[in-house]
Amino acid sequence: MSDASALGALGALGAAAATSVSDATPASFGYAGIIIVTLTTVLVGALAVRLSRTTRDFYVASRTVPPWLNASAIGGEYLSAASVLGVAGLILLQGAGGLWFPIGYAAGYLMLLLFVAAPLRRSGAYTVPDFTGARLRSRSVRRATSVLVIVIGWFYIVPQLQGAALTVSIATGLPPWAGSVAVAVIVGVIVAAGGMRSITFVQAFQFWLKLTAVALPAIVMLVVVGGRDLGAAAATAFPAALGPAAVNPYATASLAIALLLGTLGLPHVLVRFTTNPDGVAARRTTLITVVLLVTFYVFPTTIGMLGRAFAPDLATPGTADSVALLLPGRLVDGLAGDLLGALIVAGAFGAFLSTSSGLVVSLAGVISQEVAGGTVRGFRVAALASTLVPLLVVLMIEPAGLAGSVGLVFAFTASTLSPLLVLGVWWRGLTARGALAGMLTGAIACAVAVGLGVLRVPGAGGALVDAAPLAADWAAWLQAALAAPAAWTIPLAVLVTVLVSRYGGGSPPVDVDRILARLHLPERRRPKPQ
Amino acid sequence: MSDDRASGAAPAPGAPGATPASANPATPPRPARVRVTAPRAGEPLAPSAAGPLTGGTPASAERVLVASLIRSQLRVAIVCALGFAAALAAVAFVAALPALNDETIAGVPVGWLVLAFGAYPPLVAIAALAVTAANRAEDQYRALAERDEDDA
Repeated sequence: MSDASALGALGALGAAAATSVSDATPASFGYAGIIIVTLTTVLVGALAVRLSRTTRDFYVASRTVPPWLNASAIGGEYLSAASVLGVAGLILLQGAGGLWFPIGYAAGYLMLLLFVAAPLRRSGAYTVPDFTGARLRSRSVRRATSVLVIVIGWFYIVPQLQGAALTVSIATGLPPWAGSVAVAVIVGVIVAAGGMRSITFVQAFQFWLKLTAVALPAIVMLVVVGGRDLGAAAATAFPAALGPAAVNPYATASLAIALLLGTLGLPHVLVRFTTNPDGVAARRTTLITVVLLVTFYVFPTTIGMLGRAFAPDLATPGTADSVALLLPGRLVDGLAGDLLGALIVAGAFGAFLSTSSGLVVSLAGVISQEVAGGTVRGFRVAALASTLVPLLVVLMIEPAGLAGSVGLVFAFTASTLSPLLVLGVWWRGLTARGALAGMLTGAIACAVAVGLGVLRVPGAGGALVDAAPLAADWAAWLQAALAAPAAWTIPLAVLVTVLVSRYGGGSPPVDVDRILARLHLPERRRPKPQ
Repeated sequence: MSDDRASGAAPAPGAPGATPASANPATPPRPARVRVTAPRAGEPLAPSAAGPLTGGTPASAERVLVASLIRSQLRVAIVCALGFAAALAAVAFVAALPALNDETIAGVPVGWLVLAFGAYPPLVAIAALAVTAANRAEDQYRALAERDEDDA
């Protein structure tokens, strides 16, 4: 921990040094931010590896890791480009509708705490396929879950690489593809080289880096702005037409459900819970994670609101996500503004690195286990494949809003893996056939809705239908149901799972009672000395 | 298609006596480095000696206890989830009140501020409540299970 903060301080010194010798153009600040965060990440990772070698193995050491450090690591891996840049962008673009995204991202961890945290820890599973396959004693379920995890992971990496493209092109003036390629190469190499992942220190460091990177600029901007007369700008910045009363209730509720339930099925979330010594600690860690996330999201929300007041010109779909990067330079003059801008660049770049590498490791683990029998070489090849496929996708498609496309991934996860996990933890009647049918239904329904929704509304990647007021118009309702599908795809998936489990002819595993007992029974207390 | 269940590692069902020794491993002064490898299929959820309070197949009295623990935990989860949904709905309703959107603080309509920050206090409060309630349910289970053991 002290290593991490020491390195952070060194990084700050390095940034100051780099800028004092350069000609202090914003581009050099941008390069400095990106290079420093990358080097620091690699260094902290290398140090932590040495640390864990000289002390004890990671999984043993994890039992001495305090819950708040563990929670920091969870937050570090979870907070992605969508959180650091996308939230402010959506608030700028959509107004009050965008305020629902940070609420959903943070509250997803409440659902995780309520429904799966302790049981999943007690299951001993490292990945979602591990859990579902063992819970239902079925290889088909395991394989189907693996395929879903891979698809979800790829689609979740895509917005990270898009965020990298945006950040790098703004910060350095390089063409957008350079940022995507840079993050993909760094992540692919780091993961394939066998480092970075499973290292609590690195991800914990990333959380505090990201928190600083949004909190400091937000606070400084508030102080600077506090002395200004808002006047007419404030009146037009928060129009009633985009206010809390103007949001489409269906689309909002559907989005909230997707974000709330999507979190607990994300591929890179589950593995973090194995670093808790027991189920009770898993709950405490999740509670602290909720507090950390709430603290974090206050600041992107603030930046988004400041953006509405002071950067209305950025409120177009192509530019909104850049508001967090550009606003400090506009509001704070001189060197301080440049430094704050570089800090946000560093935080955003850290977000791409940490979330992508967490995802790539989860994916590579699943792929290599399914295809290559879990060998190290298989893992490396799989890691490269896991980065290459999303990179190709990014280079081929038009970027959509970051938080919006991440919202769609949440909807897909919430319709496929989340019902299976929740039912698997709580319902003894679940069968392998029911699980397969439910996953297939949720996946198809969600994919069709998203596909049609994108076709109907060209260029709109967001899950919120901003232009559709609550009209008794069939077309408007259909469009809303396609653009924000979670509200009907999740119940559909659950219904199919339950019906097929009941009447599909299969039966629950013979040892289902023992499995559920393993999931829910508290660990034996430390035996009393006799 | 669902009949390809991996034959679940069937452990000796009635071997409760095996647990105490392994639950309390003699800790060596310096544990050897354990290489962490990909978990093998079927490894999770395999019955483990260091795991739950009771190994093996639960006897009928225990089975009732376990079922009631799961029910009370599910009740905690559902009540808390509904509570949070109600809090969210309340925040959305209050934020949409016209009166609050005519008032401004530092130029920002109060309704916007309510929606931006109002959901977080109930979120943290309910999360804390849920942890307390779930831990209490486990304590109750422990007390009942220990009493049963003493009776036996």
